[in-house]
Amino acid sequence: MPVLEFDGRTLKLNDEGYLVKPKKWDEDVARELARTAESLDELTPEHWAVIRFIREHFVAHKRAPLIRALCDETQLSLKQIYQLFPSGPAKGACKIAGLPRPDGCV
Amino acid sequence: MTLNAKPYLNLKTPPEVEMIYLDNAATSYPKPPEVHEFMNMVYRTAGVNPGRSGFDLCRVAGDLVDETRELLTELFGGTDPNRLIFSHNATDALNLTLFGLVEAGDHVVTTQLEHNSVIRPLWTLQEDEGVDVDWIAFDDAGFVAPAAIIERLRPETRAVVMNHASNVLGTVQDVGTVGEACRERGIHLVVDVSQTAGKLPVRMDDLGADIVCFTGHKSLMGPMGTGGMYVREGVEIRMTRAGGTGVRSAERRHLDEYPYRLEFGTHNLIGIAGLSAGVQWVQRTGMDAIHGHEMALWQELRDGLASIDGVTLYGQNTRTEDRIAVLTFNVSGFEAADVGTMLDVDSGIACRTGLHCAPLVHEALGTDTIHGSVRLSLGPFNTQEQIRQTIDAVREIAELGASRSS
Repeated sequence: MPVLEFDGRTLKLNDEGYLVKPKKWDEDVARELARTAESLDELTPEHWAVIRFIREHFVAHKRAPLIRALCDETQLSLKQIYQLFPSGPAKGACKIAGLPRPDGCV
Repeated sequence: MTLNAKPYLNLKTPPEVEMIYLDNAATSYPKPPEVHEFMNMVYRTAGVNPGRSGFDLCRVAGDLVDETRELLTELFGGTDPNRLIFSHNATDALNLTLFGLVEAGDHVVTTQLEHNSVIRPLWTLQEDEGVDVDWIAFDDAGFVAPAAIIERLRPETRAVVMNHASNVLGTVQDVGTVGEACRERGIHLVVDVSQTAGKLPVRMDDLGADIVCFTGHKSLMGPMGTGGMYVREGVEIRMTRAGGTGVRSAERRHLDEYPYRLEFGTHNLIGIAGLSAGVQWVQRTGMDAIHGHEMALWQELRDGLASIDGVTLYGQNTRTEDRIAVLTFNVSGFEAADVGTMLDVDSGIACRTGLHCAPLVHEALGTDTIHGSVRLSLGPFNTQEQIRQTIDAVREIAELGASRSS
């Protein structure tokens, strides 16, 4: 099973790089996931606005927010979110925010 | 089927439907207003357990179930309404059929165009029961050659299982030729008509089918939670559930006679009511008219997407015959799910992305490794303007994809 190793911590990831245990997430984990999964060496305030909204929504509702809600809340267009997170909101931003892999017909 | 000279239906979309809905192969939406109205009326005025008790209203509800059996039996060219079985959906009907028809030592022929509702039961029978299953490939245009199926038939072949049309590629298969060969050899032909019932004629004799499994919530315009099968007289499906029903309660075993043999528990009365209204709407509107409308739009959509750099269409040749209005593609620079998200959020267009519950199709196309494709599937309420907007939206995504990869 793949793992995320940094600063003496070892966190299990699934085959697609999502955290197996979302509760283990913190902002240091986000930075490391951003670096390793999305090749983002630096997270800007706009990145953090997206990550924190997704994370807070997940903690409150146990699911990812709707993409429209994410755009509304962050005042970012979807194209801007794709510029921030090249893999997109689901595979990029949600992964960095420590959410589990979304279910679907894939 | 020939396309109408004046193909467009110009149906009025209900005002609450604001999106451009192009996911009709998953479920048709919106439904005709008559469907909602009839379901509401039936549940308000006759929402009792159909046929179980003796009071008059119970008989009224039971009559609605029986009349819908007759309606569907006629639609499928059947002869005995008791052989029209209601189930939860097509997947449920296919599971009942395949586990009740096939057993250890049997040989089955199926195709790589199938939905998981066929693949998973047959895979389970293959792995757990030792059933020998041949999985026949399709050609570059998305068709399975009947000869490729027929040449695999042998004395111990119990059944051929195939869909009438692919839910990924929209190609309509030559089931009739396969059916003829099956009947000559006494082999059962099971046809999944989920994508065609309500769009194209589905007649037991024309297909040479022994069993057709259908869903109610796609082109038959009924609600979700409805579906079933028609089982030709003389074809016996073993019971794989143990009951019971409210019919002849003293008996310890579930009833052997049709339709009870394959129906368990209280019927989905409100769903069957909606299905009845949906089928009648299709009949009034005309399957030819609906299919002609959808294919005219499909042609515009296919031509528009084919002209966009960076768009790859799958199995979408120029033929409009032997096809339903389903179109599958990818855009260079993005995974299918990203294209779906952009279509949804930026343009209000609903589509289906991923493997479409048909993994063998994507393995054959090579799209399984890129998480599938985007599928647009049209319905009677779609319009030319929606198709134009969709082509523009895909063009914009393709341009963005090109700029990301340059």
